[in-house]
Formats: sequence, structure tokens, C-alpha cells
Amino acid sequence: MAKSEDCIHILQGLLVFGNVVIGMCGIALTAECIYFVSDPHGLYPLLEATENNDIYAAAWIGIFVGFALFALSILGIIGIIKSDRTLLLVYIILMLITFAFEMASCITAATHRDFLTPNIFLKQMLERYQKADPANNNDKWMTEGVTKTWDKLMVQNHCCGVLGPSDWQEYTSAFRLTHNDADFPWPRKCCALDAQGVPVNLDGCKLGVPGYYNSNGCYDAISGPVNTHAWGVAWFGFAILCWTFCVLLGTMFYWSGIEY
Amino acid sequence: LLPLLLLLLPAAHGGVQHVGYKPFLTKTPVLEGLTTGSTFVLEQPRCVFDKYSNADIWLVVALENTADTFNNSVAPGTAESAFQNFPHSVPAYMTLNATLANYPCPKPAGDITVLRVGSETSCIRDDARPTCNGPLPGPGPYQVKFLALNGSEPVAETGWSLPIMLRTAKSPNSISTTDGGHSAGMIALTSILSILFAILLAGLVAMLVFWGSDSCGGSSTFSKPEAVTVRRYNTHHVYDQPAARL
Repeated sequence: MAKSEDCIHILQGLLVFGNVVIGMCGIALTAECIYFVSDPHGLYPLLEATENNDIYAAAWIGIFVGFALFALSILGIIGIIKSDRTLLLVYIILMLITFAFEMASCITAATHRDFLTPNIFLKQMLERYQKADPANNNDKWMTEGVTKTWDKLMVQNHCCGVLGPSDWQEYTSAFRLTHNDADFPWPRKCCALDAQGVPVNLDGCKLGVPGYYNSNGCYDAISGPVNTHAWGVAWFGFAILCWTFCVLLGTMFYWSGIEY
Repeated sequence: LLPLLLLLLPAAHGGVQHVGYKPFLTKTPVLEGLTTGSTFVLEQPRCVFDKYSNADIWLVVALENTADTFNNSVAPGTAESAFQNFPHSVPAYMTLNATLANYPCPKPAGDITVLRVGSETSCIRDDARPTCNGPLPGPGPYQVKFLALNGSEPVAETGWSLPIMLRTAKSPNSISTTDGGHSAGMIALTSILSILFAILLAGLVAMLVFWGSDSCGGSSTFSKPEAVTVRRYNTHHVYDQPAARL
């Protein structure tokens, strides 16, 4: 009898500990997803223009799932200490619903990350950067977003194009329609700029003399934050779900052993 | 006799000296814009025309298949060598006028000495500027040579360069955006999470189905704490009675 009592207490202790960890991870997930949704690198317009911003939807779901995990973990702790069958049943069912939502968020984030290849950004940049006649208001909004984001990206990260300045030479673009090839082999923002934003040596930039233009592509500057965002949501969520799985199995076992 | 006379004729006019130099695209430094859609960058002809200190040095630009029809006696700045008439009515045009002072010899080490052919965009349609260094009208291939003129007489020329091909741009519609595929991580994540969720659902179903029966509860049933309160009650004071009988 004493041994059985000890086993029960150990199981209770483990489940309470499991729920405490779930609660803390829930808060961490909420904080991380709020950070991603706030878009610290300013890349949201590029994703919005691909007309598929699932990564942001996944982060939004993560915010609410984190809160739900925190609240449900408190419910779980109370239910385990009181050994109340009803409370624990409610806890298990709500946790399963939360598990399903978090699963959707992880899979969405991971799938959308695979969609964001260099070609997507290249095609979007060529078709939208400095596009002259937008078709409608939505088009105009996306064009302005893409243009401003690319200008900021190229100046801050000292890069040009997606794979390099030759992107502007290898493909025709909306930019090329309004800026002739001899004066603008690539946009002015690809030149090395001084403090006022004026090219240091315009002829050197047009010739492509090393040092007077940005020779790297911007894909690393884009894919770095996007990867962090997607993996942060998908894999941290996966870790939380694995832990939650174990705690839920333990709770189900505990529930089925309670006398009623 | 006739071939001998023909051979002697050019010598009699003083003739055009053929300098053993071929114009070439700049090799150092490596330039990103060496050839673009409508421009290319040539190395300056340093230490080539040293013997002709009074001459004007012109650049002749022709298409590969019209280079042979160019006549050295065509005067620069006329309609026969105007940029605006190239390539539909003239086989070549002359531009980038310079003197030997522009090309000092020897070339100082570390200097970038280039000629950008096609950089002037303001005079493309200006017939008053036939020597315009305008952007080239197509991808080529082009051949160029330098021609030194003393007054209006050509005195020296370089050889024709190798054919120079410019870049052609493709349409962005040719960029394929659908062959991304799925990464291994995403497939692993999806399958593992699906399995875990399925196990949990099965566990929930098992829980609810066996709610009524006690089959799994046998050895591990335990009582809820504080469910039974044991009240202490007094026994029959058996220890007091012997004291009372005495």
C-alpha cells in the first residue's frame, strides 16, 4: 500500500512538473511569435507580395497557442493535485485541440519555408521593383512595398539583386523599362554610397569597378531572418508538442486510475 | 606588269601604316559591367600610336559582318560615319576622338585606363552629333579598331578586334518558381506530429470507452485524498473501570 502511495505521488509530481514546463514553454512560444510578427527585419512586404504569407499566419497561431498552453497547464496542475476526473477530462480534451492547432502552425511554417526559394524573390524583384504603371491600388501598394524594402535591403546590407548585380543584366525587368541599360546597368542603390546617399563614384559604379558597387547578392540577407522565423516557429513548436505528448499520455494514465 | 603597278600604287600615296595591335576588352581590373546589353569597355590604346604625335585617334565600331566593307578614307563627323545612321545605312561609325596626349605612355601602374563604348545617352537621336558615343543598338557581335588621322588623311590603323558579343536579357517569365520540392525536415516533422496526434486520439478514445469498466484500474486504483474522514471516537474507558471497582 505504501509503495503504491509513493508511486502515485511520484506520478503526480512528474505530471505537475510536466505541466509547469508546458506553461513556461507556452509563454516562451508567445513571446517568440510576437517577436516574429513584429517583423524586426522589415521583410514583410516581400512576403506579402508573393501573395502567400503563411509564415506569418503560423506565427499568429503560435501566439494564441502559447497563451492556451499556459492557461491549460495551470488547469492541469489543479486537476492533478485535486485528482478530479472532470477537470482532467476537460484538460485532456482542450489540450488535444491546442495540440492540433500547434501542429497546423508547425507544418505551415515548415512548408512555407520550402516555398521561398531564390527564384521566387528574383522573379518578384524583376517584376515589381520600380514598376511604373500599377494596375490597381493593391498592385500599387505591393509595388511600393517591394521597392522600399529592396532599397533599404541593398543600402543596409551592401548587396545588389538576389544573386548579384548580373540579375539586372541577365533578365529584362520593370526597372529596365524606365531606366536604359547604358545609364543604369543596375539600380543606383547598388552603388557604394556616401553619407548623403549619393554614389561615391558614379562612373566606377556603372563600369563595375570593385569597391564602387555592391557585388554580393541579397539572398543571404533575406533567407537568414526568414529561416530563423520559420525554424523558430516550426521546430520549437515541435519540441513543445513532443513534451506535451508525453505529459498527456501520463495524464490519461493517471485519469484512468482515479477512483470515482 | 599590271600586278606590279597595283602593288606600287598604295606605296605611292604614303598609305596607312598597320600597327600590330588589336583592341581588346579590359582585362584588369575585372569589371562587372565589362559587357552589358548596350555597352562594352575597351582598354585604352597606350603606347600604340607613339610615332604619330599630331594625329587624331578615332575608334571605328562596326558589326562583324560589315567590318570588311569599311573604307579608311571615310571622314569622321559626316553622315557616312554617323552613329545615328548605324547600322542601317552605314557599315561603321567613328567616335571617341582623342589625341596622343589622352593616351600617355607608359601607363601608370594602378591606373584604370578604359574606354566605355556606349555611355553617351543624350545624343542618340541628335543628328548634329554624328560622333556620338551612343549605346549600341543590338547584341552584335561587333568589331572595333583604332584609326589615326592626320588632318583628313588616315596614317595608321590597328587590326580589327576579336568579335565582341553583348549580353542579351531573358524575360523573367522564364524563371521557374515551382520546382522547390519539400525538404526532409518538413516531411519528418509532419509525419512525426501526425503519428503523435493519432496516438493521443487513440488514447482518448480508449479512455472514454473504458470509462465505465474497471479493467485497467485494478492494481493502480487509489483513493482520492481527503475523500474519507476518519473521526476519532472514544473507546469504553476500559482502563478506568478497575480503578472504580476497588
